[in-house]
Amino acid sequence: MAKEPYAKKISGTGLMKKIKDQRWLLLMVLPGIIWMIIFCYLPIYGTQIAFQNYKVTDIIGSSAWVGFKYFTKFFSDPMFFTVMKNTLGISLLKLAFGFTLPIVFALLLNEITGIRFKKIVQTISYLPHFLSWVVLGGIMINWLSDTGFFNELFMGLGLIDQPISFLARPQYFWAISVISEVWKELGWGAIIYLAAIAGIDQSLYEAAAIDGAGRMQRLIKITLPSITGTIAILFILSVGNILGSNFDQILVLRNQLNSSASSVIDIFVYQTGIIRGNYSYASAIGLFRSVFSLLLLLIANKVTSRLEGSSLF
Amino acid sequence: MKKRVKGLSRATALGLCVVLLAGCGKSTTNEADTALPDPVTEARAEEPGWKDDTDPITIDWYINYSWYSSLWDEGLYSQYIEEKTGVKVNFIVPAGNEEEKLNTMIAGDTLPDIITLYAQDPAINQLVEAGKLYSVNDLADAYDPYFYEVTSAETLAWFAMEDGKTYGYPNSSISPSEYDEIDLIGYQTFNVKQDYYEAIGSPDMSTPEGFLSALQAAKDQFGTVNGQPLIPIGLHEFTDVGNLSLDSFLLNYLGVPYEIDGQLYDRREDSNYLEWLKTFRKANEMGLLSDDVFIDTRLQLEEKVAQKRYFSLLYQNCDFTTGQQLLYQEDPNSAYIAIQGPNSGNDPTIAGPSISGWTLTCVTKNAKNVERCIEFMTYLMSAEGTSDITFGEVGVSCQVDENGTPSLTEEYQKLYDDNKEEYDKLTGSDPLWMLYDQVLYEAWKPAVPVHLQQMYYWSKPYMVSHSVYENLNPGTNTDEGEALAEINLLWGQTLPSLIRAASDEEFDRIFADYISQRDTLGWDKLLAYQQARFEENKVKLGLTE
Amino acid sequence: MARMLKRRRKRVTLFDVVNITFMLIICLCMMYPIWYILVNSLSKGSEVLRGGIYWVPRGFSLTSYASVFKNKDIYTSFGVTIVRTLIGTVTSVFFTAMVAYGLSKSYLVGRKLFMTLGIITMFFSGGLIPYFLLLKDLRLLDSFWVYIIPCLFSFYNALIFMTFFKQLPVELEESAKIDGTNDFRIFWSIILPVSTPVVATIALFNGVMHWNDYFSGVIYITNKQWLIPIQTFLYKAVAESTSNIMVQNMPASVRTSMVTSTTIKYATMIITTAPIVVIYPFLQKYFVKGIMIGSVKG
Repeated sequence: MAKEPYAKKISGTGLMKKIKDQRWLLLMVLPGIIWMIIFCYLPIYGTQIAFQNYKVTDIIGSSAWVGFKYFTKFFSDPMFFTVMKNTLGISLLKLAFGFTLPIVFALLLNEITGIRFKKIVQTISYLPHFLSWVVLGGIMINWLSDTGFFNELFMGLGLIDQPISFLARPQYFWAISVISEVWKELGWGAIIYLAAIAGIDQSLYEAAAIDGAGRMQRLIKITLPSITGTIAILFILSVGNILGSNFDQILVLRNQLNSSASSVIDIFVYQTGIIRGNYSYASAIGLFRSVFSLLLLLIANKVTSRLEGSSLF
Repeated sequence: MKKRVKGLSRATALGLCVVLLAGCGKSTTNEADTALPDPVTEARAEEPGWKDDTDPITIDWYINYSWYSSLWDEGLYSQYIEEKTGVKVNFIVPAGNEEEKLNTMIAGDTLPDIITLYAQDPAINQLVEAGKLYSVNDLADAYDPYFYEVTSAETLAWFAMEDGKTYGYPNSSISPSEYDEIDLIGYQTFNVKQDYYEAIGSPDMSTPEGFLSALQAAKDQFGTVNGQPLIPIGLHEFTDVGNLSLDSFLLNYLGVPYEIDGQLYDRREDSNYLEWLKTFRKANEMGLLSDDVFIDTRLQLEEKVAQKRYFSLLYQNCDFTTGQQLLYQEDPNSAYIAIQGPNSGNDPTIAGPSISGWTLTCVTKNAKNVERCIEFMTYLMSAEGTSDITFGEVGVSCQVDENGTPSLTEEYQKLYDDNKEEYDKLTGSDPLWMLYDQVLYEAWKPAVPVHLQQMYYWSKPYMVSHSVYENLNPGTNTDEGEALAEINLLWGQTLPSLIRAASDEEFDRIFADYISQRDTLGWDKLLAYQQARFEENKVKLGLTE
Repeated sequence: MARMLKRRRKRVTLFDVVNITFMLIICLCMMYPIWYILVNSLSKGSEVLRGGIYWVPRGFSLTSYASVFKNKDIYTSFGVTIVRTLIGTVTSVFFTAMVAYGLSKSYLVGRKLFMTLGIITMFFSGGLIPYFLLLKDLRLLDSFWVYIIPCLFSFYNALIFMTFFKQLPVELEESAKIDGTNDFRIFWSIILPVSTPVVATIALFNGVMHWNDYFSGVIYITNKQWLIPIQTFLYKAVAESTSNIMVQNMPASVRTSMVTSTTIKYATMIITTAPIVVIYPFLQKYFVKGIMIGSVKG
C-alpha cells in the first residue's frame, strides 16, 4: 500500500496534468466527439441488418439472423464483376482527371493578373456545379442523341460522317460520365486550391523574383509545394471514395443499351435493394464497400505519408 | 479545476452510456393498441356517419405517387367538401422515388392517418402482417355501417386477408359482372398517323410481312420530317424489367392466354408471341428501329411526337394525349388513329378494368381520429360524395335533372370543353380520384373529347376482365419474391438483346439461355406460388366449376 | 503613383496569352449550358418540344416563370432555405472550426483516438433507416432543426481546417500563450481572423450544401410540408415518377399530369439556383482579400 500511491501519483500526475493543461482544447473538441457519437455511432447498430433478413416492418434487431447470406449473394451475382469493373474504372478515371485538372486550373488561374478578369472567370467556372443532374441529364440525353447538338457539331467539323447515338453505345459511357463530371466540378474543385494559394506568404515570391526565378519556376518551386499538404489530404480522401460513384448522374444517363458499362455498385444497390425494399442486401453491400474503402484509405495514407509527410493521423 | 474536469468527464461518460443503451435496447412496440376508441357519434346503417359530426379536422393523407399534385386549398369543389364535412385534407406526396419515402415511414412508424398506394403493392401485405392498418370491417362496424352500402361485397371479399377482414378499399374497381354497366375505354392500342398511313395505301399491318413492309414503305416515303429522320415505330421505354409495349401490351394484343388447361405458364414462351418478337428483331435488322427507341424515356417520346416523327406507336394512347390534341387541332387527318396491329389469328384480349382497381386506400394505426377517417371515406364513396367530387355544389357548378342525375351547369361545361386545364385548376376536381363510386361516375361523366374517341373506343369489343390473374405475386422478402425480382431483371436485360440479335438463330439461342437461367433462379417455385394464388382467386370470384 | 504601377507591370508573355485564351474557352464551355437552359425556359412550351433552340428564345414567353411563382409554396421554401443556410452555415463553421482547432494540436491528449473515431464515421454508417429512427427519437423529424443539428459537424471539413491550422506559424500563438490566454481566446481572437480564406471556403461549402440539399426535405419532412427547402421543391417539380403501368379507369388526365413540361423544369431550376450564384461574388472578396494582402505588399 505504501508504494502504490507513490507510483500512481507520478503517472496520475502526468496524464491528469496534461488534461488540466489542455482543458480548454479538450472542451473544444469534446462537443464534436459527442456529436459524432450521437449522429454517427448510434445508428451503427443498424448495420446488423446486413446479417439478418430485415423487413421494413420489423423493429431493427428482431429479424432473423442469416449470417453472410447477402454477402455471398453479392459476390456470386453474375453482375458482380461487371459492377466492380465499372465502378473502379469510372472512379479511377475521375480520379486521374477530376482530381488533377482542378489543381492545374487553380494554378493557371492564379497566374492571371487582372483581378477583375480572374474574379469573373472563377465565378463562371463554378456555375455548372449548381446544376442538378436531373435537369442536366435530360439536356445531355438530348444533345447526345443522333440528331442532337454534338452530332451536328462533329459532323459539321467533319470528325464523323454518320450520326452516332452516343448513349446507346457502352464504349462511350465512361468517357461521357467522366467528361461531364469533370466539366461540372472543375471550377468548384479549384476553389479550395485557390484558397490554399491565397494563404501563401507573398514574401516568398518576392525573394524568388529577386533571385531571378522565372514565372514557371516560381509556380513549380513555390506555389505547388505550398499546397502539397492540401493536395495530399484531398487525395487520400478521394482514394477512400473509389468504390462510390455519382449516383444521380449515372441514374439519369444509363439505359438498357449501355448498361454493361453503366452498372455501378450504387445502381446495383438501388435496383436490388432499395426498389425492392430489401435493405438487408443494400446494407451488406454497403458494409463491404465501407470496409474496402477504409482499407484503401489506410493504404493511401501510409503511402502518402512516406512520400510527402502528411498523414491523416 | 481537477474536480470539475473529473466531474465533467464522469457526467459525459454517464450520459454516453445512457444514450448508447437507449439506442441498443430499442424495444418500442410497433403494434398499437388493438382496441378501438369509443365512437363519438352513434353508428347507424341508414345514414352515412359524416353527417353527425362536421367539426373542423385535418386528415393527413399520403399518396404514394410523386406526380400527384393537390389542389385542395384552391379547388372550388374541394373547398366545398371541406365546408360541408368539416374535413380538411393535407395531402402528403413523396418527391422522386416513392419506395424510399414509403419504406422510411413504415420503418420509422411515421405513417400518416390515411395512405393510398398501388393496390397490388407488396407493402400492403407487409403492413397488414405487422398490424399497422385498421381493418375497414372493424371500423365500419364500430363507427359507420353505412360503409357497407357504398362498397361492393365482392370487392371487399377480393381484398380480404387470411383473417377474413379487409384492410383497405380500392378505387376503379370493377368486377367482371359490372362490365356492362360502364363505358369501356381501351388505352392499349396500336396507333398510326393517319395521313402517313393513308399515303402508303392503308396496308394491312396484322401479319408480320404486312407489318414490316408497311414500316419500310413509310420510311421510304417519309424519310425525313422537318429535317429529322422518321421513326417508323415508337415503343414504351425499355426499363430494368422489360418493355411495356413488348410485354403485357403485345401479349394481350395477340390474345396469348394466361392459362392452358387451368394451369398458369410463362406467356413469354407462346409461339405466336415469339414469332412477333422475331418480327421486331427483323425490323431492327432492316434498320426500322433506331437506337433512340431503345433509350428514349417518356419525355423524349413526347418531344418526338410533337415533332411528328413517329409513323406508328405501339404505345398507350393516354400517354400522348397532349400531342394528339395539338395534331388534331392543326389538322384532324394528321392525328393518330388506332388500327389492327400485330395479330396471330386470335382476338386481342385487352385487359379491361379489374376488380383490383388501381389504388388501395387504408387507414393506419397512427390515425388521430379514426372515426372521422372512416366516415370521410364513406362520404367520398357515396353518391353524394361522388357527385360533389365530379360536379361540385348543386346550384353553383352542378345541376340535377328530374331523374336525379347530376351534370355540369352550362357555364362549367363550356369551360370543361374549351379549356380543360383551366377547369381543373379552378375546381380541383381531378386530383380527387382516390375514392369514389366508379359505376356512378361512369354513368355521369362527361363525354370523351373528340380527338381521343377513335383511339379510346377501338378496343371495346375485345376487352375482357383479367381480374382472376391479378394479385398473384409473392411479397418481397420471400424466396419466391426474390426469384420474381431476379427473373424480371433478367428479362429486362434479355429483351433488348433479343430484338437486337443479328439473326433468328441467335434469337433462339438467347431465348434458350433466358429459359435455362430463369429456371435456375427459381421459376418453378414461383410458378407454384402463383398457381396457388390463382386457385384462390377463382374461388373468390366464384369461377370454379 | 499610377506611373510607378505602370512601370512595375510585367510584360505580357506568350504564356499569358495562351492562359487567357484558355480561360475564355473555359468560360464559354461553362456558361453555354446555363445559357441554353435560360433561353429554353423563356421559350414557348410547344417550341421547346420541337427542339433546336440554342441561342435565342423562340416564342419568347414568361409563362413558365409565372406558373412557377403562382405556386405559393415557393415562397415558404425560399424562406426556409435562406434561414436554414444562414443559421446552418454560421453554426456549422464555428462548431467545426473549434473542434478542428483542438484536433490540430498534435500534443492533444487522446488525439489518435479522436482521429480514428472521426475517420471511421466517414466510411461507416448505419444506413438510412436507423438514422431516421434516431432523428425520430430526438424529435427532429418534421422540425426545422433537422436541417441544423445533424449538420453541425463534418469530419471532412474538420480535416481541411486541421490542415490549414497546422500550417500556421507557431509564433502567432506563442506570445498569447505566454500571457496566459486560454486556448479558446487564442482560437477566437488570433487564429480565426488569420484563417479567413479557409473559413470562407468552408462557409461556402457549407452554405452551398445547405442550399442544395434536397434529400432532407424528401425523407425527414412528412406532415409539415411547409418546411421543405427550395431544392426539394425543385426536385418535386423535376424528378420523374417511376410508375409506368396504366390501369384501366385511371383517369387519363392523371397520366398527362405525370410529366412536367420541360420549360417549367428549366424555369424552376433557374429560379432555385440564381440566388446563390448571385451571392457568391460578394463572398468572393474574402478570397480576394487574402490574395490582395499578399500582392499589395509588392
